[in-house]
Amino acid sequence: MRGAIRIDDVVKIYDPRGAAVMAVDHCSLDIEGGEICMVVGPSGCGKTTLLNAIAGFHDITSGCITLDGEVLCSTRHPKATPGSDRIVVFQNGALLPWKTNLQNVALGPVMQGKLSKARAIEKAADMMADAGLAGVEHNFPGEISSGMRRRVEIVRALMNDPKVLLLDEPYRALDSLTKSVMHEALLNVYYKNKVTLFFITHDLEEAIFLGHKVAIMTTRPCRPKKILAVDIPHPRDYGVLTSKRFRELMQETTEAVHEEALKAFQAGEREG
Amino acid sequence: MEAIARLVTPEIVGDILKQTQQFEAVSDVLLLQIAALGRQVSHEPGSVLYDAGDRADDIFVVVAGKVEYLVDPGVQASRPARILHPGDVFGWTALLAHKPSRLSKAVCIEPTEIVRLSGEKLLRALAVDSETRAEVMRRFACLIASDYPAPHATPAAASSGRETVAPDSHRINLTVYRLSQWLKSPRPYLMLLGFALFLGFWYLAVEVWKLPRFAEMPGLTVVIKEWLSKDPTYGLSIYTGEYYKHIGMSVWRIAQAFLLATILGVPFGLLLGWSRKFNHYAFPVFEVLRPIPVLAWVPLAIVMFVSTESAVIYLAFLASFFATALNAMLGVESIDESYLRAVYCLGANRWQAFRHVIVPGALPFVFTGLQISVGVAWFSLVAAEMVSGQYGLGYVINTSYSMVRYPTIIIGMITLGAVGYLTSALVRVIGDSLMQWRVRELAMKGD
Repeated sequence: MRGAIRIDDVVKIYDPRGAAVMAVDHCSLDIEGGEICMVVGPSGCGKTTLLNAIAGFHDITSGCITLDGEVLCSTRHPKATPGSDRIVVFQNGALLPWKTNLQNVALGPVMQGKLSKARAIEKAADMMADAGLAGVEHNFPGEISSGMRRRVEIVRALMNDPKVLLLDEPYRALDSLTKSVMHEALLNVYYKNKVTLFFITHDLEEAIFLGHKVAIMTTRPCRPKKILAVDIPHPRDYGVLTSKRFRELMQETTEAVHEEALKAFQAGEREG
Repeated sequence: MEAIARLVTPEIVGDILKQTQQFEAVSDVLLLQIAALGRQVSHEPGSVLYDAGDRADDIFVVVAGKVEYLVDPGVQASRPARILHPGDVFGWTALLAHKPSRLSKAVCIEPTEIVRLSGEKLLRALAVDSETRAEVMRRFACLIASDYPAPHATPAAASSGRETVAPDSHRINLTVYRLSQWLKSPRPYLMLLGFALFLGFWYLAVEVWKLPRFAEMPGLTVVIKEWLSKDPTYGLSIYTGEYYKHIGMSVWRIAQAFLLATILGVPFGLLLGWSRKFNHYAFPVFEVLRPIPVLAWVPLAIVMFVSTESAVIYLAFLASFFATALNAMLGVESIDESYLRAVYCLGANRWQAFRHVIVPGALPFVFTGLQISVGVAWFSLVAAEMVSGQYGLGYVINTSYSMVRYPTIIIGMITLGAVGYLTSALVRVIGDSLMQWRVRELAMKGD
């Protein structure tokens, strides 16, 4: 199974010459291909830094990140090149507002020169229909609900047949009802496409519901504090939330997350 | 088959309605009232909810089951057929006041639970809050525009607001809709009142009260008489060819200056915003030259250009160029970093990122810049025409001053204002038509 990410002893220090702030501290994490890995931590703990390093938006100070054995970035080559094998789904959404949803979805393969425009549009329409998004193809992103926009964005990513989807708190701005719909939609997409999901969130319930593995991160500097294997079998549906095992896992981890949240809060107070 | 009817509470219906774009903005309390109007009906597979041509009375909410929705083959629609699932709402035609006929057919293909809402009652419920009502109807209009995009309807059908849409649907629809909204709002009448007050004051101050500083000014009636005279005292009125020659000349100069400023200014500004290196070279020079007023350039312009015509155009061009370039640069800087990151993820190279993100992303600012630049071009043109040149509105004002033709000065001024306003409005219309995404986004927000 492709899409295995290995994060090996990664350190990220912002501004190494001035007031050095350590964002990521000797962090190691192994993610198998096709796994849903949920990264949980309080806001501002440095988990986005990790995602940006994988995506190639930022460099790392030392360590190494590989994808299927190939080095993305390392001490010697600190910044990965962004590419369509690792696609980010952004916190606030990044569908281009001046293109229709269909044009947005078709964009990747056209820019890479993999498909002609006509073929890409055709494939995009098929994929949108498959994902239950028929009917909004010719709308602009600004005309559809934010939950719908997130789904379009995920389809846009899948158009490129990526190995990994990097999701940066994509459902943060959604209300809890919409969120639950989005979770099931995401799982459906995942069961059909089998990509690796690197999913950042601060919502523990979301993490345990979706993930094979939940990495609870310490607050700045960021490193795994506890890695939880969620032994609830996939495919999952909303019934899981009320199951005994789910409650047990929640209990097992809530304390660890709370501890970090408290630390982050106190650190914030000190800085303020 | 035994259909176990689940009783659907208004809360559930309200939640479903809330999920639709049309009702998203409606308050929960009002939605609950609306939902309470619903009547739950169970249908067997195969039962027809309505057919094309039926009178549109109700809006339908699918609670369970599946409904096949087929648009009448005679109607061109972007979605001629689709399956509706629980949570879908359809039959929006019922919201139109005069109950037009259905353009599609809806058939249950599974045992289906439907909640029907009377369109008339719904509108009455919405009427308590006119703002919400307008918002719902606006979103409804967007839905129609996107569902029935192709030319099909007869003009009569379109003007009667049926589910069909006139040729070149979006644009015309939007314009007509806006116009009708504008006429319904108090704005045009306030505008007329504003003009009436202004002209009234002018008339009274100069011709009736003869206020100290106004006594020497040409009065409203004098100016209008001169303007509309077939035989004007000072040689300029709407019946003389000269008048149009002056307007034409000024417009032609503006067109050249503005075009030049746009062709050079937009790419220059985009580059200033896009390339850090280029910015470091060019921006300081740009910022030093920008505040220099046009009049200060006049001597140089006359030395630089042999023909006065080019000198005049150059002067009008200068100020517009700065306004255009600066706004294009700000436009690039306003673009959200995520858009760039997203296209790099999708495999864009630098040029593709420029084309797909930078140019369209900066466009709203670019067009604001162009509107400013057209205005700026006008007032620098007048300054330039006063200095040199033959013909043109600035020339009219200046020569009339030296030849003591006061009413003609006023005619020149008013004409200048009106023509300037028109050119600026034209730029705005062009901008809107190039940025449909933005127009629709703003329409959704209710602007």
